[in-house]
Amino acid sequence: MKHLSVTAALAAIVMTAAAACGGGTSTNPDTAPARGPITIWYSNNPDEVAWGKQMVEAWNAGHPNEKVTGQEIPAGKTSEEVIAASITAGNAPCLIYNTAPAAIPRFQKQGGLVALDDFDGAKAYLEDRTGGRAGQYRSPDGKYYQIPWKSNPVMIFYNKKVFDKAGLDTKNPPLATYDQFRAAARKVVAAKAADYAIWPSPGSEFFQPWFDFYPLFAAETGGTQLVKDGKAQFTSPEGERVAAFWKSLYDEKLAAKETFNGDSFADGKAAMAIVGPWAIAVYKGKVDWGVAPVPTSTGKSPAETHTFSDAKNVAMFSACKNRGTAWDLLKFSTTKEQDGKLLEMTGQMPMRSGLSAAYPEYFGQHKEYETFAGQAERTVEVPNLANSIEIWQTFRDAYSKSVIFGKQDPKAALGEAATKIDGLAAGS
Amino acid sequence: MTISLRPPARAPRAGRPAGGLGRQVLGMAFVTPYVLFLVAVFAYPLGFAVYMSFHDYFFTAPGAVVDRPFVGLANYTAVLSDPAVRQSFGNIVVLLVINVPLTVALSLLLATALNAAIRFRTFFRAGYYLPYVTASVAVVGVWRFLFNSGGLVNSALGPLAPDPTWLVNEHLAMPTIALFVTWKGLGFYILLYLAALQNIPKELYESASVDGAGRWRAFWSVTVPGVRPATVLVVLLATVTGANLFTEPYLLTGGGGPDGASASPVLLMYQRGIEQGNPDVASAIGVILVCGVLLIAFVQRRLLEKR
Amino acid sequence: MAVNTTRPASSRTASVGDARPRKETGGSRSRAAVRYGVLLIGAFVFLFPFYYMLIGSLQAEPDSSPSGAFPAPGNLTVANYSEIDRAIDLVQSLINSGIFTGGVILCTVVFGLLAGYALAQLEFRGRGVLFNTMLLVQVVPFQLLTVPLYVLIVRDYGLADNHLGMILPYAINSTAVFIFRQYFLQLPRELFDAARIDGAGELTILVRVAVPLVKPALLTAVLLTFIGPWNEFLWPFLITKQADMQPLAVSLANYMSNVAARAANPYGAILAGACVLAAPAVALFLIFQRRFVSSNLGSSVKG
Repeated sequence: MKHLSVTAALAAIVMTAAAACGGGTSTNPDTAPARGPITIWYSNNPDEVAWGKQMVEAWNAGHPNEKVTGQEIPAGKTSEEVIAASITAGNAPCLIYNTAPAAIPRFQKQGGLVALDDFDGAKAYLEDRTGGRAGQYRSPDGKYYQIPWKSNPVMIFYNKKVFDKAGLDTKNPPLATYDQFRAAARKVVAAKAADYAIWPSPGSEFFQPWFDFYPLFAAETGGTQLVKDGKAQFTSPEGERVAAFWKSLYDEKLAAKETFNGDSFADGKAAMAIVGPWAIAVYKGKVDWGVAPVPTSTGKSPAETHTFSDAKNVAMFSACKNRGTAWDLLKFSTTKEQDGKLLEMTGQMPMRSGLSAAYPEYFGQHKEYETFAGQAERTVEVPNLANSIEIWQTFRDAYSKSVIFGKQDPKAALGEAATKIDGLAAGS
Repeated sequence: MTISLRPPARAPRAGRPAGGLGRQVLGMAFVTPYVLFLVAVFAYPLGFAVYMSFHDYFFTAPGAVVDRPFVGLANYTAVLSDPAVRQSFGNIVVLLVINVPLTVALSLLLATALNAAIRFRTFFRAGYYLPYVTASVAVVGVWRFLFNSGGLVNSALGPLAPDPTWLVNEHLAMPTIALFVTWKGLGFYILLYLAALQNIPKELYESASVDGAGRWRAFWSVTVPGVRPATVLVVLLATVTGANLFTEPYLLTGGGGPDGASASPVLLMYQRGIEQGNPDVASAIGVILVCGVLLIAFVQRRLLEKR
Repeated sequence: MAVNTTRPASSRTASVGDARPRKETGGSRSRAAVRYGVLLIGAFVFLFPFYYMLIGSLQAEPDSSPSGAFPAPGNLTVANYSEIDRAIDLVQSLINSGIFTGGVILCTVVFGLLAGYALAQLEFRGRGVLFNTMLLVQVVPFQLLTVPLYVLIVRDYGLADNHLGMILPYAINSTAVFIFRQYFLQLPRELFDAARIDGAGELTILVRVAVPLVKPALLTAVLLTFIGPWNEFLWPFLITKQADMQPLAVSLANYMSNVAARAANPYGAILAGACVLAAPAVALFLIFQRRFVSSNLGSSVKG
């Protein structure tokens, strides 16, 4: 008891002192979130580091008392490990500009995130910026724990040289329907233009479906997530068609079951790849490529095709003390100006509605990005559910077993996975 | 604890003039830093892991109030009834059965040869040691190149090449990984044996020679018993590193593929605990693994040190 | 010190093959041929992947076909290396690696030797428990402990962004302690008894008598200890996000996963990164092995 009262007395003194120092500037110290220096993390890929540095510099120039420090964290999947560990240890930064939507439920469960709805006008701000897609980023409790930041809508890249060698049209390649896609794939392999038509990683990592099954599923269903209303959706006829399509590619050895060293598309070993716009900079000068929407059984028009977003978002972490500054910075870094810089410096798509109309100059000069800007309007995110990663791992294991390696009938394997996923989605 | 320390055969006899209480204190003084280290760094996380395995536990931010009920053996029964977990333990047994004998035989053979050959000794020793120092990320790429369907190994085998090829073949993935593990660690075990071989008194070989023993007999009657402490070490370390297999299925077979045929318990621990955020289940796998390895190590020590 | 060192000197220098004073006969020559044959096959198997890595890192264009294993004069370049040099502050990374690895080796050698010696040659209460704990440490996979350990070191010890926090979990390598114990056990007991009768203290015996006799084991343990922190990238990244504190393995892992893809030959860039990481390790090994092993050889090779 004595100890407690001493602490309380100390706290009172500190608070009085703080209030005294604050002077007349703060109007309502009880409710206004604190301000002061903060730390943020961004991904360590070189383009994003460059963007992050200029953004922090621009902010610091105008806010000498709320200095922001930027640090780098891994871009790959170790990113989530680093973040989860720092949440537990209580040394997470204020904002992380590399938060995977699939990891949000877990960070939220850990008590690591701050609901953005608590800030004045936050909900309106982010829904206004992102448009209808924003709803996919709301957590089951109805709140936003992330601001949709940037996406990398995945599409089919094809190698024009390889297609030419296989006698395929390189301007408007016949890749719209499954039958066309398969026929083109057979031609590529038969003509030995490339070892395989397409080479998505056959690995068992939980995130691999995002680059084979899921984009096609999003397109085939017209924008349905893997799980909806607590029920797995992939056992639908659409889901079965997508699985059957991939299985036929594996059965006919048009897609590879082995892991490739490096990038199969850049090395010309595969004629096609499923990638987002970040890859444009990577393939520059290596491959003469074209881009097409992911196929659907009926050959939907590009303007109707959905795909996977491959988004990275910004979240605020509960270890953050100066949340007022953090929220201001969050808005500052997602203005039209900063989004434009992000687009320019990284080639990734800010999650802003009407993207091509917002930056006509950029897309006028960078035709190759325009297709992606159009596609970015119709992206599907991973479902925001508890046990998100476990659900994806369960799906991947069943998919790998049946579709890739043909050890089980896809219908049976995916059916079992669906039952298990329904249970996981319910939170057990 | 299952592994008991037999009275060490070579330990100084108690009751010597210089012995007694002074040495007792001295021994404690010598080990104090190490004991402090273990307490500071090892004891708490391990105890914590065991604690988690009996609770419905997940990591939270400091200050978050959540309910973490005691669940008894629920995590253990869940883990043991999971076919993926059972498969991963089976995979590890396959690995150990191939890896441990191969490691002991090859490293002793090569160390013996190396101990005798004088010329180019540095070259050979450095050569064997190279895979051990090289980061897995790099050698994994090389192994894929060697073992993929159009790779060097299959080119050399011609029509005998397996289909599907090594690392995506459910029967061959684990043996291929076992070979990889043996290859990568062998340099280290060779060094262990080399160090041990240099301590075998030369007189023993001389007397064996006088007794008319051939080289092969001398190898069995002098070298093998002479390096027994090192053999115990090699067997135990190979077992332990093999049982803790992680990097290889993580990198070489894309997360334990094909279809879990090369998944290891530690890989599953990583997936469940670190990726999926269920440290309670992961800890249960870990505790089972640790108990299993201790049991194996105990049997191995019994068998090896008794003779 | 009047310790008789002649016996152990002769015993440690003995080696299996040339120990017996025999004349070169046809038989022994053929045996030598067999021996070199075995060694050469072994060396090929061990060196080939490394050689391939080196060749791959020097290629301008990736060549994953079998012919890619041979150097093609038109396809050789050091561009992959100069790109690393441009992307990474090699000197700073090496210094950080040096602090991290050096700290671990120092702690392991000093405290590990003491512990290993006590476990092998001294009697004290709790020795059995300690020995078993040492074994247990090795059996427990690091993945089981990562997060609690991180919380402990960051939250309770306050060692985030600190080299000490980086070193601490690795500070005394238990496998090295085990190795020390195992080799001290192998030394002849008479040696220690003689030294003790001469009135030498245990610390003197350890430093002057025991350690020189287990030098090869010392080398092995140092190498073992070296590899862990040298190649580790997750732990340093957890402890600090400050780029100027991160060791080479972290910088290179970052380079390989992010920058390499844009290089002219991404795979070559990754292999070059691996070579850069391995080079200091190999160099250190070559230096160490001269100091620790060949000095012993001098007396064993009598000509």
